[in-house]
Amino acid sequence: MNSVLNRASRNFLWRHPWQLALAIVGIALGVAVVISIDLAMESSLNAFNQAGKAFSGVATHRIIAGDGGLDEKLYRRLRVDEGIQKLSPVVNAYVFMSKQADAGFNLIGIDPFVEKSFQSIWQIRKNKNTSVELLTRLITEPNTALISEQTASRLGLNIEDDLTIDTDHGERRLKIIGLLSPNNAVSEQVLSRLIITDIATAQEVLEMFGRLSSIEVLIDKNQPDAAPAPAYTPSLEISAPAPGRSAAYTPSLEIIRKALPGNALLVEAESQSQAMREMTRAFSINLKALGLLSLLVGMFLIYNTMTFLVMQRRRLIGSLRSIGVTRRQIFKLIIGEALLLAAIGTLIGIVLGIALGQGLLYLISGTINAIYFHIDAASLMITPLQLGKGALLGISATLLAVLPPAFEATRISPVTVLVRSQLESGIRRLIKAANLISGVFILGGMALALLSGKSIVLGLASIFLLLFGFAMMTPAMTLMFMKLIERVFGRLSGILVRLPARMVSAEISRTGIAIAALMIAVSATIGMDLMIGSFRQTVADWVQTSLRADLYVSLPGEKMPDARAEQDQRLKAKLTELRDVKMLSSVLHTNTAIVKEGVSAGAAAENDFTKVAVFELNEKSRPGFIFKHKTDNKLWDRFEQQQTVIVTEPYAYHHGVKIGDKIRLQTDHGSEPFEIIGIYADYSGDQGHLAMSRRNYRHYWPDLGYSGIGVYAKDGVDLQQLENQINKLLTGQQSVKSDQAIYKASMEVFEQTFTITETLRWLSAAIAFVGVFSALMALQFERTRQLGILRAIGITSGQLAVLITGETALMGLVAGLIAVPVGYVVAYMLIFVIYQRSFGWTMAFHFNPGVIYQGLALALIAATLAGILPALKMAQTKPAEALRSE
Amino acid sequence: MSTKAAITIHQLSKSYQESGQRHEIFKDLNLQVSVGEFIVLLGRSGSGKSTFLNLVSGIDQPDSGEIIINGIQLTGLSEHDRTLFRRHHIGFVFQAYNLISTLTVGENLLLPLELIKRTSRQERDTVAKLLDQLNLADRFDTYPDRLSGGEQQRVAIARALIHDPDVILADEPTGNLDLDTGQQVLALFDTLVKNAGKTLIMVTHSPEVLGKADRVFSIRNKSLAIARNGVLPGTGAAVEG
Repeated sequence: MNSVLNRASRNFLWRHPWQLALAIVGIALGVAVVISIDLAMESSLNAFNQAGKAFSGVATHRIIAGDGGLDEKLYRRLRVDEGIQKLSPVVNAYVFMSKQADAGFNLIGIDPFVEKSFQSIWQIRKNKNTSVELLTRLITEPNTALISEQTASRLGLNIEDDLTIDTDHGERRLKIIGLLSPNNAVSEQVLSRLIITDIATAQEVLEMFGRLSSIEVLIDKNQPDAAPAPAYTPSLEISAPAPGRSAAYTPSLEIIRKALPGNALLVEAESQSQAMREMTRAFSINLKALGLLSLLVGMFLIYNTMTFLVMQRRRLIGSLRSIGVTRRQIFKLIIGEALLLAAIGTLIGIVLGIALGQGLLYLISGTINAIYFHIDAASLMITPLQLGKGALLGISATLLAVLPPAFEATRISPVTVLVRSQLESGIRRLIKAANLISGVFILGGMALALLSGKSIVLGLASIFLLLFGFAMMTPAMTLMFMKLIERVFGRLSGILVRLPARMVSAEISRTGIAIAALMIAVSATIGMDLMIGSFRQTVADWVQTSLRADLYVSLPGEKMPDARAEQDQRLKAKLTELRDVKMLSSVLHTNTAIVKEGVSAGAAAENDFTKVAVFELNEKSRPGFIFKHKTDNKLWDRFEQQQTVIVTEPYAYHHGVKIGDKIRLQTDHGSEPFEIIGIYADYSGDQGHLAMSRRNYRHYWPDLGYSGIGVYAKDGVDLQQLENQINKLLTGQQSVKSDQAIYKASMEVFEQTFTITETLRWLSAAIAFVGVFSALMALQFERTRQLGILRAIGITSGQLAVLITGETALMGLVAGLIAVPVGYVVAYMLIFVIYQRSFGWTMAFHFNPGVIYQGLALALIAATLAGILPALKMAQTKPAEALRSE
Repeated sequence: MSTKAAITIHQLSKSYQESGQRHEIFKDLNLQVSVGEFIVLLGRSGSGKSTFLNLVSGIDQPDSGEIIINGIQLTGLSEHDRTLFRRHHIGFVFQAYNLISTLTVGENLLLPLELIKRTSRQERDTVAKLLDQLNLADRFDTYPDRLSGGEQQRVAIARALIHDPDVILADEPTGNLDLDTGQQVLALFDTLVKNAGKTLIMVTHSPEVLGKADRVFSIRNKSLAIARNGVLPGTGAAVEG
C-alpha cells in the first residue's frame, strides 16, 4: 500500500517539475547562504589561529607586550637565569611583496634550534629540506629566508633567488635558501603566507633591534610546580640547562610572571584566539543573522511550495482518503516528500554554500582586516561539523515550514473535495487568527527589544519576531489594499482592469505568502539601506568634524622606545620649523595593560591590553571631539593637568564605565588609577579605546614617538606646496595626506566594511525573488483552467499576459508598500538596538526618501519580473489544453 | 431558420498524440449547418464531441480541413484572430459551467461585452434583464461558487448569449442539472434559436433535446453519422459522410 501511495505522490511531483525544482532551489539557497557565512567566518578566524600556530605550535602560554614589544633580554633571563627551557622567541610583522600590494605575508623570525616539542608548523614539515645545515645557514647568513614550495612556485622564485619585500621602513631583500614542503592542506595554507627567517634577520628587516614580538611558552599543566617532568627530546638543542635544574623542569607560571616587566603579560595561548573570537563575535552574529534571514525567506518559499503541492492534490488526497488512506498516512506522505526535497535541496545547498563561501571569505577577511585585526584571505576550511550544522538547519527549516500544509492535508475530507471558495473562506478565517498572532509577535518583539539588556542575539530575535509578525499581517493588509484598489479603479474602469486585484484577493492563500516573503526581503533591504545610510552620514559627519588639521603625517610601524622615537621627535621639530606651519597636534596609538578590579597588576591572564590614543592637542584640534554629554571648558584643563582619561563611546559601552569611574592602568611605575572625565564619539573601531594627554602618558610610560602628526597651516598658505615640502622630510612608509584625502580613504574603508552586508542582503532578495517566482508559477499552473476559460470567451494571449503581469505587479506594489514602514522599524532596531549592542555606537537616524523609492521599485520590479515568465507561459498555452487541465 | 450556411466544415481531420501514440479523432469530416439551425451531437464518451465544439469555436485547431463560419475561414486565421472572432461570433456553454470564479455573476456577464467594447451603463441593464429572464435577478453581485449547479449553468448560458453571438455551442448544458432545471434551460435555448435565429450546436444525451433538434448526429468511425434527419424546408441540406 505504502509503495503505491508513495508512487501516487512521486508521480504528482514528477508532473510538476517546475515547482519541484523551485522548492529545491529555495531550500538550497537558504542552506547555501547559512553554510557559506559559517564557513567563510570560521575560515577567516582559523586563518588567524593557524598563522599563529605556525610559530606557537602547541605552546600553552604566550608572553606579550604592548607597543615596543619585549626586550630580548627577558628571553635570556627566563632561559638562562630561570632555567626555563620550553620557550620560543618570536619576532613577526606583516610585510608585502614589492609591487604586489595585495600579497601580504607574515614574516616570522624564529630560533631554528628551539625546543622541538612546540611542534610549530615550520617544525613539522617534511624532512627533506630541514637539514641542520640549512637551519645553520639561516642563522649564520644574514637576510636569508625560507618560504614554501608553493609560494616559490607562485612567485616564480628558486633557491638562492632574492625576494624583495616592503616593510614599514622601506624595501628589503631576502635570499631564499630553502623551500618548505607542507605535509598537509592546513600547513600548506599557512605556509603559503609565511616568510621564515631567524630572529636576527627579522629584527634587522623590521627594525626591531633588541626586541621580540612575543615569547611562546610551553607548560605541562599536568605537572606540579618544580616537580620532575618526563624527559623530553630536544631536537637541535644548543643551550645547556641551567645549573642545578633538570632538563625536565616545569616552570611555575609565577616564576615567569615575577620576571615580567610592567608592559608585558603572560596570557594563555588559547585566550588570544578566544579574544579574537570575542572581538569578532558581534560581527559574526550579525552576519549569521543575515544568513538566517535568507533561510527565513527560504522557509516561506518552502512553505509556499509545499502548500501548493498539497492544495493542488486535494482531489488526489480526497480520493486516497475515500479508499481508506488514514490521516496519519497522508501526513507521513507529505512529510516524507518534504524530507526528500530537504535532502536534495540541502545537498545542493552545501555544494553551493562551499562555492559561495569562497567568495564571501574574501569579503569577510577584508572586513575583519579593516575593522579588527590582520588576517589573510585564506582558502576555505570545510569541517564536517559546519556542513552537519547546515544540513540540520536546512532539513529542520523544511520540516518546520511543511508542518502547516501537512496538517492541512490531513484535514482534507474524503467525502467532499473542497471547492476553492471553501478553501479560501477557511484561509480567511486563518488570516483573522494570523492577525491576532501577528499582534502578539510584534508586541513580543518590542518587549524583547526593550527588556533584553545588551544581548545581541535577543536583539536580533526581536527583529525576527517583528518581521514574522508583520509577515503574518501581510495577507490581511493585502486584502485591504486590493479592496481599496478595486474601489478606486473599479468605478472608473472595466472588469479587465479590476481583474488583477480580484485575482490577488481571491487566491490570498497563495498570493499572501509570496507577498509576505517578498515584503520581508524588501523591508530587510530598506532597513539595512537606511541603517547603512544613517551610519555613513554619521561617520562622514564624524570624520569631517574630527579632521581639524590641514595635513596629516602618518608614521606607521612598530613603536619603539629607542632611536625610532627620537627620529619621530626630530621630524616633529622639523615640521614646526617650516615657515608655513602655524601649529601641530599629534597622536600616538599604543596599547597598555589594564588592571581589572580585584586582579593584581600584571599577575593574571585575565588582564589584557587596551588601546590608548595619546593626544597632544591644540585649540583647533579640541573641537574635533564630539562628546556624548555636555562639557565645559574645564574638561580640557583636567585632561591635560590631572590623571584623567576620556574614553570612546564603544569603550564605555563594552566596559560599562561612566564619567567619574576610575580605570587602573599598568604603568612602568605600577598600577595607577585614571579618572574618566569624558565619553566621545569614535567610529574607527568597535572595541573602543582610551585617550589621554601626552603629558599624562609621558609621566608614566617611555616615549614611543608618534603615530600621526596634524599640521595646521598658516592662513593663505598653498597647501599643495606645504605637502610637497613635508614629503621631502619623510622616509620609508611615512606619508602626508590632506584632510580630504583622509576623508575619502575613511569613507572607502567604510564602504568596504559593508560590502559583505550588501552582498548578503542581495542574496536574501534573490531568494525572495525565487520565492515570488515559484509562487507565481505555481499559481498560474493551478489556475490554468481558469485562464483557459478567459481565453475561450475571447481574451487574447496578449491580454492574458497583461492580466497576469498586472497581478504580479500589484503583488510587488503591496509588498513594497508594506515593506516601507516595516523597513523603517527594521532600520530603527538595527540602529538603536543591534548596532549599539554589537559595537557600542550610537548614530543619528538619517531619513533618505530615495531608499523608499528604491524599496518600492525593488519589490515592483522583482515581482513583475517574476511574473513575466509565468505570464508568457500561460499566454502560450493553447486554450484547448488549458480547458482540459485539472 | 435561414437557408444560408452558417457553418461549413470540409474534410476536417484531427488527431492527438498521447503516450507516444497517435489517436485519430476525426477523419475527413464534412458538415454544413444553416443559419438558425439547431444541431444535436451524440456520441460515446471520448468520441470527440467536446473536441468538435472546440474546433468549431476556434479554441482548438484541426490537423487539416476547413471550418468556415459566416463566410470566414476559421482555419486560416491566426490564434489571435481566432480569439477575436470567438469573442464576437461564438457563445460557448461549457459542461462544467467554467465561470470565472474571481468575478461576480454580473461581472461574468459584463466581461464578454467589455471585450467587444460595449461598456456603456446600458449594458449593465442588458445584463440585469437577461439575469431576470433566467430567474437570477438577485444574483448579480454573487460569486459563482455560491450558486447551485443549475444557477451556475444558467449563468453560463447567459454569458454565452449576452454578446449576441451568431453561433452558440453548448456542451451537455443539462448534464449536471435536475430534470426541472434542465427543461428550463432547454426551453431557453429553444426560444433563442427560434426567436433570435441563432445557430446552435449542442452536445447532449437528453431525450428531451433530441425532439427539439433540427438534426441529430452521432460521432462514429471518426466522422458524423446522421441519427435523425430533421425537416429542412427548401434547402436539401444534408449530412455528407
